[in-house]
Amino acid sequence: MPALLSRIIRDPLTQKKLRRFTQIKRGYWSFLILMVFAALACVAELLVHNRALIVSYEGKWHFPTYGAIHTGRDFGLDYDYEVKYRELRDHFRAEGRGNWVLLPPVPYSAIENSYPGETFRPRAPDWRKGHYLGTDQINRDILARLLYGFRNALLFASCFILLTYVIGITLGCLMGYFGGWFDLLVQRIIEIWSNIPFLFVVIIVASVIPAGIGMNLWILLGIVVLFSWTSMTYYMRSVTYREKVRDYVHAAQVLGAGTGRIIFRHIMPNILSTIVTFIPFTVSGAISALTSLDFLGFGLPPPTPSWGELLRQGTSNLNAPWIVASAFTALTVVLTLVTFVGEAIREAFDPKKFTTYQ
Amino acid sequence: MKMPSSPLARLLLVLLAAALAGCGRKEPAAPTTGAADAGPSVMEADLARTVAEQTDFYQIKTPADLPANLSWVNSDHLPEFANPNAKPGGTFRYYIADFPRTTRTIGPDATGGIRPYLLDYVGVPYVQPHPNLPGEVYAGLAESWAVEPSTRTVYFRLNPKATWSDGKPITAADVVFTFYFMRSPHLREPWYNDFYTKTYTAISVYDERTFAITLAEWKPDAVVRAGNLVPYARHAMQEFAADWIEKFQWRVLPTTGAYELLESNIERGRAVTLTKVKDWWARDLRFWRGRFNPDRYRLDVIRDPDKAFESFVRGDLDMFPISQPKFWYESLPDTHPEVAGGYIVKTKFFNKTPRPDWGLWINSSKPLLNQTALRQGLHHATNFDLVCEQYFRGDAVRMETRSDGYGWRMHPDIKARRFDPVKARELFAAAGFTTQGPDGVLMNAAGQRLSFTITTYLASLRDLLPILQQEALKAGLEYKLEVLDQTTGWKKVQEKQHEIALIALSRSVELYPRYWEMFHGSNAYEDAYLAADGRFVTKHSEGTPNPAPSKIRVQTNNMTMTFNPELDRLIEAYDRSETLDEIKRNAQEMEQIIHDQGWWVNGWSLPFHRTGYWRHVKWPEGFNAMQGRNAEEFFLHWVDEDERAATEKARRSGEKFPAQVLIFDQFNK
Repeated sequence: MPALLSRIIRDPLTQKKLRRFTQIKRGYWSFLILMVFAALACVAELLVHNRALIVSYEGKWHFPTYGAIHTGRDFGLDYDYEVKYRELRDHFRAEGRGNWVLLPPVPYSAIENSYPGETFRPRAPDWRKGHYLGTDQINRDILARLLYGFRNALLFASCFILLTYVIGITLGCLMGYFGGWFDLLVQRIIEIWSNIPFLFVVIIVASVIPAGIGMNLWILLGIVVLFSWTSMTYYMRSVTYREKVRDYVHAAQVLGAGTGRIIFRHIMPNILSTIVTFIPFTVSGAISALTSLDFLGFGLPPPTPSWGELLRQGTSNLNAPWIVASAFTALTVVLTLVTFVGEAIREAFDPKKFTTYQ
Repeated sequence: MKMPSSPLARLLLVLLAAALAGCGRKEPAAPTTGAADAGPSVMEADLARTVAEQTDFYQIKTPADLPANLSWVNSDHLPEFANPNAKPGGTFRYYIADFPRTTRTIGPDATGGIRPYLLDYVGVPYVQPHPNLPGEVYAGLAESWAVEPSTRTVYFRLNPKATWSDGKPITAADVVFTFYFMRSPHLREPWYNDFYTKTYTAISVYDERTFAITLAEWKPDAVVRAGNLVPYARHAMQEFAADWIEKFQWRVLPTTGAYELLESNIERGRAVTLTKVKDWWARDLRFWRGRFNPDRYRLDVIRDPDKAFESFVRGDLDMFPISQPKFWYESLPDTHPEVAGGYIVKTKFFNKTPRPDWGLWINSSKPLLNQTALRQGLHHATNFDLVCEQYFRGDAVRMETRSDGYGWRMHPDIKARRFDPVKARELFAAAGFTTQGPDGVLMNAAGQRLSFTITTYLASLRDLLPILQQEALKAGLEYKLEVLDQTTGWKKVQEKQHEIALIALSRSVELYPRYWEMFHGSNAYEDAYLAADGRFVTKHSEGTPNPAPSKIRVQTNNMTMTFNPELDRLIEAYDRSETLDEIKRNAQEMEQIIHDQGWWVNGWSLPFHRTGYWRHVKWPEGFNAMQGRNAEEFFLHWVDEDERAATEKARRSGEKFPAQVLIFDQFNK
């Protein structure tokens, strides 16, 4: 597969398409911005988290960001649960014994109460305390929830694309390549399958998951994928139908190539442009699906940070407009950027630019 | 239809028919039933047959059969709780969360929805518990009543003025019909069938207005058990048969109460409007006058409470419940322009009534959770104290026992275990959880993590659960959270599939709490007790405890899967108790066991209800009744339409009234 990919990328036609993509400024810049966001989300723990980056205690350095927790006792406090690094910082400062704590720029996690000892209520943005977008109903930092929610959405979208495309492309190509009764049969199965009401299945599956496992990102992903791979098969089926009657396929058949080789080695590179143009729209579809499921309460279990959950909180707390504004803005910006990228890719990969039909 | 064979049964049938004919004589023949012209309806024939067959239960007697020494009492000596000078008339506008799926008040889909407005709040029963004086009852359909504990019987005499909303008199024939109806398999309500079969052993009719109800067990509140029932109109239910559910789906039946629902007032999917019954029979009756004041009671369907709140603030609704801290402090603060301007009044009323038992229901049949020390550890690791103080802002109080709100009947010394991570860790260590894993969660020697899932089906708890989760980590305990939709979640806990559930059962206003449903072993296991002959029985008194019960009984409220023979013995003794002292003594012993064993982690209760309403809605002095669970339940309010006009005029012109934020704590002392 990597060899195939590098061959496709080295292909002068692909090079030309990519060049064309970079020339479409709006899409290209959107793509770069999205990549920056994604990179930030990957290292979210270093930017927005309640665990310190570095703790210097008794001359020894600790890096608590990843890995096992440090209890209060590890740093000379009197409790057995995870140390509260913001309090530890103040404690060390007050002690003045040379111990210090370096916290991330936003020292809050997405699931903690950031105003311990105070009432649970939405709080407006407070720059001095580092709550740049305010807090939600139970004093959780909204910026943290947005960032970690974005990461979950990206993870969800990537896995979603991978799975739906693997299933959809394989089955679609097979349908197109074999045609006949196989095509007819699978098409009928798909028609029946896509008529199963999706939300009900989510509810039913949630009820049969044994206690102890519970709903999580992967189960939810599985359910959504189960009902989303079908649309891809239609496109793949029709382009494969078109490709399989071309001369190069016949040539390969004559040379004795097997079905798998013909589909993945010969046909696939030629239909790749169709697939690529779909990706951005699938991303936005996946993010919207996850968000709307969370909004309806059928998504990830609390306290998982998610944009849908923030939107739900926001709409039921209209007197705290910073919640709904943050979630709405984030969702709009990301989906708009993805759509710009999608448009640019579609334009860049448009075959009419490079070939003429006669 | 087979006629009863025995001569006695035939005679009874004739007598009953004569009594019925007597009822109808004052009125012109009913044209609606269709039965009047075509002979007795199928229902009447079936009723007659049932009465003839079940002569033990349906006893047709004569006035001469009444015991001579009965001392008839009434409620004339008790104080009223409504304001008799309330101003009738006007339209009150409120909301319901969903359009009702039926206008029946019983049968499938009948619970919730609009039933409170057709029956629970509005229907007039024979007698009703006095909401300010626990243990006392006041007159409804019955003008007087008498008790005879030796025969476990309560006698009632119907008020001669009592009529259905269609003008027909309410008679003992309706009472008999109601028992027949409730016990009929056609009803398709197994719970009611069961209740009316097990609670009552006989209904005796002496004349058109006098009847007696015999109970299976005598209780201090026997009058309420026998008398707090609302009859169904026999003449309007002639078509009652196996297919009645569909036939009566949208039929509006005559009512004993002040409000009726006319078909023309049902706006499908949007609203229903109740209208005051013309010349309602009880309008001048003590305890009923000054209540149910508005002429029209409009209920808009608004599914989302936040949207309903916006409608209320805009002036489309006259009242809105603002018990939740979010509404009281955030959405409708005292500085809100409508409150500060005196247009909307905020009221906090401390009631005194059995509280819903919010808390963690621990499924003790699950591995690890069957250990008492571990369950006690969960008590100390679950920070409901923080929830009360910071989430409910000190408004909520911790439930000290399961039976808070039953006043003097509560165990005085038991206190809920407070949040204490150190104590929790000690108890977890006693249960074998001694080492702390890399994620801060305790583990035992077998490598099991101290991790349990909390299930709930109430979306409103989504924000509360993460608080418990975060705090539990301090004790090395991991809570996983599962918020299911209502139907799925309820099914899961009823099938005892959960590990821990955060839920509450609502409690009706009763003199003393129930334990059998929630804690008796027979509600946990089908094979809880073994009789001498090896059969499984459901009572401690009838068998010996099964050391290894395995058949889980589903669809019961024993959601803690409690099976404790000593507790079962007490529950059975409690259910047989005839005096309040005995009841109290048993209840306290049971509370102690429940506390020691720790099946249920004490949650919170709100000792008040808070209401926001526009200033033209008026209330009696003292605002509400002590046992009211919401401001609306007893219909004590009225609408002053002149004041409404004044409010609207003032809002337009910017004129302000004195702001009113009222606290009523007369019952909280």
